[in-house]
Amino acid sequence: MGSARSDIPPPFAAHKILIAGGFGSGKTTLVGAISEVRPLRTEEVLTSASVGYDDVSGVDAKTTTTVALDFGRITFGSQLVLYLFGLPGQERFSFMWDELSYGALGAVILADVRKLDDCFPSVNYFEKRRLPFVVAINCFDNAPRYDPDEVRTALDLDPGVPLILCDARDVGSVKQVLITLVEAIAARRSGRRRSGRTSVTPGM
Amino acid sequence: MPGGNKWRRRDSGPVVRPYAVTGGRTAPADGEMLDLLAVVVATGLLARTGAGLGGDQSVKLTPEHRRILKLCENPATVADIAADTGLPVGVVRVLLADLTAQGAVTVVRERPPGQQTGNDVLQEILNGLRAL
Repeated sequence: MGSARSDIPPPFAAHKILIAGGFGSGKTTLVGAISEVRPLRTEEVLTSASVGYDDVSGVDAKTTTTVALDFGRITFGSQLVLYLFGLPGQERFSFMWDELSYGALGAVILADVRKLDDCFPSVNYFEKRRLPFVVAINCFDNAPRYDPDEVRTALDLDPGVPLILCDARDVGSVKQVLITLVEAIAARRSGRRRSGRTSVTPGM
Repeated sequence: MPGGNKWRRRDSGPVVRPYAVTGGRTAPADGEMLDLLAVVVATGLLARTGAGLGGDQSVKLTPEHRRILKLCENPATVADIAADTGLPVGVVRVLLADLTAQGAVTVVRERPPGQQTGNDVLQEILNGLRAL
């Protein structure tokens, strides 16, 4: 008995890109602009990261909380599927980021210039994990315009991290964000090959 | 817990707690945490009868098992199944482990963990995005 077919080749290749950013930065809009977006429910075990935020007093056993993520899927032909996972932005959900970023190609951090601080947790996280990322400034209609270089300085971004302006509602703009990310991933890989295996520059 | 003695309002979420559909089990029977992008597919063994293998009728499939089995007729990721059924990922993992144990579903391995995606795949994704 058993799974006799478990060594059949995968019917399609599934790849993952994360969409991060603070609450209200436009993650749902971005995922919805380029793919069919559906909520993905996860039951997460509360850890010490959420203690103090979620009331767990009087509960001594393992406790779980339901978190809904934005989840989108883009199918290219029959062989390749790209999945977009919206990371819950609030820092109290950061305990979920490890699982969600496992195996991810890279990440888009959506930034709202009015709430730039909200990006810091994701920037720090992806730098630490050495996951390639781009920062996309979502140009809200009523938000002030800043020079991208000012934003780069404010976020203390490594020069190799692309920073672009986008409109999360516009499919063409979102497409460009994802293309920029995938190009950055490819560039980083070829850079790594050129500089050899001894390159262990922290932070990038 | 605050307000714990009050009835929940209808809009405050499902009345049945998520792990009720697994009989309270929060971990898959085989102890394996399937990756969100692991691809699973029905083997066809239970598709018609819905009964257990080898005439074992004691293993009952719940409506949730059946819904998952139906979705697995075409290869699907764990995340797809969770989104399509509206069940939390943890619950889907438990139910998929039941179906795997019965031989109804098999896991199609993606790639060994940690193995990097090749440049050809990146190029394929770029081409796909540009063609959107």
